[in-house]
Amino acid sequence: MMNTRTVSAVSAGNRVGRLISLAAFGAAENMAIDQAILNSVSRTGVPVLRFYQWAEPTLSLGYFQGVAARAAHGHSDSICCVRRTTGGGAIVHDRELTYSVSIPVPASSAGPRSVLYQQTHAAIAEALPDRGVHAVPFSHTGLEPRSEDKNAQFLCFQRRTAEDLIVSGYKVLGSAQRKSRTAVLQHGSLLLCTSLYAPQLPGINDLLSSQLTAEQLVPQIAENLSKSLGIDWRVDALSSREEEDAGHICRERFASSVWTERR
Amino acid sequence: MSRDESKLLYAESHEWVDLAEEDGKAVGTIGLSGFALEQLNDLVYMELPELGRELTAGEEFGEVESVKAVSPLYSPISGKVIAVHEDLPERLEELNDDPYDFGWIVKVEVSETNSVESLLDHAAYQKQCAEAG
Repeated sequence: MMNTRTVSAVSAGNRVGRLISLAAFGAAENMAIDQAILNSVSRTGVPVLRFYQWAEPTLSLGYFQGVAARAAHGHSDSICCVRRTTGGGAIVHDRELTYSVSIPVPASSAGPRSVLYQQTHAAIAEALPDRGVHAVPFSHTGLEPRSEDKNAQFLCFQRRTAEDLIVSGYKVLGSAQRKSRTAVLQHGSLLLCTSLYAPQLPGINDLLSSQLTAEQLVPQIAENLSKSLGIDWRVDALSSREEEDAGHICRERFASSVWTERR
Repeated sequence: MSRDESKLLYAESHEWVDLAEEDGKAVGTIGLSGFALEQLNDLVYMELPELGRELTAGEEFGEVESVKAVSPLYSPISGKVIAVHEDLPERLEELNDDPYDFGWIVKVEVSETNSVESLLDHAAYQKQCAEAG
């Protein structure tokens, strides 16, 4: 049942979307919920913004990554693993905030939605504290693009694409997408602090000398995204159909070793 | 002989199909349009279907990844997969240069129940691409 509480001031002409925040689930459940939301947005056309965390430290593999590549990163070899449906490299989900945004797109659209990467990353950058050091897209840093080899590294946060958010030379936010015929899911990870399972990757609190929590960041990011996407977010929960769908997807796909080890 | 893109049929989702007779069978050769490849921008992975798989028009038959986005490929026609361009996933960098010949993805033996009425001719497809910007 949709709650009428909105996160941002309602603007004339804005679409209404659903905001689902901020629970922690297991790895397979998290990926299944995002897929169930993508299915739901494909059916209804109503955008959904979700923020979530992980019940335990988790490594998520990019859709096309081989599970054997885990050997390249010993720090994360003891934590649980799930395969995403989105592209890119592996992510250690530990001391971080994960978001997903799913929006309808025309059936005739092709390719990645670059503008969605730009809008969400700008909204998140603007939510970070101003400590004289700014989070900027990699394409604005003036740094040389990575060689093909370096951009094939195991961890997402060791790769660089144009819209990745960079603080002091370190990537702190990376996102990836999955398209269906009439909707796109984009989810991404904002590193808050260095994880024991990825000690080479600092988070925003390490780089900005801040102590931000996910709970503090979510309202500001949602409000910024409301402005940039033209969507008024209404606080909501998963519908019973989405919960049922997520349960089925979880069992059939993300909790299955056949899925995780398919490559 | 080069394939003439103006003679092909197109799905709204940007796959092209070339319908022809090969060895006495009606065969549809399927690929991705040049417009779609431009939009996809730097494909890094492609997953192909298995030989013998029965496809229904509109069904997903493969997937591609570009700029960390995974997108499905949809079959424009129904039928059985009789050939797969196995080299293609290893040579994606060549795809943009030649989407209509080198870039074929699968060949499908067209089922008798096939209908191509929902597909676009080249002019209609060009119009769709122009409207998409």
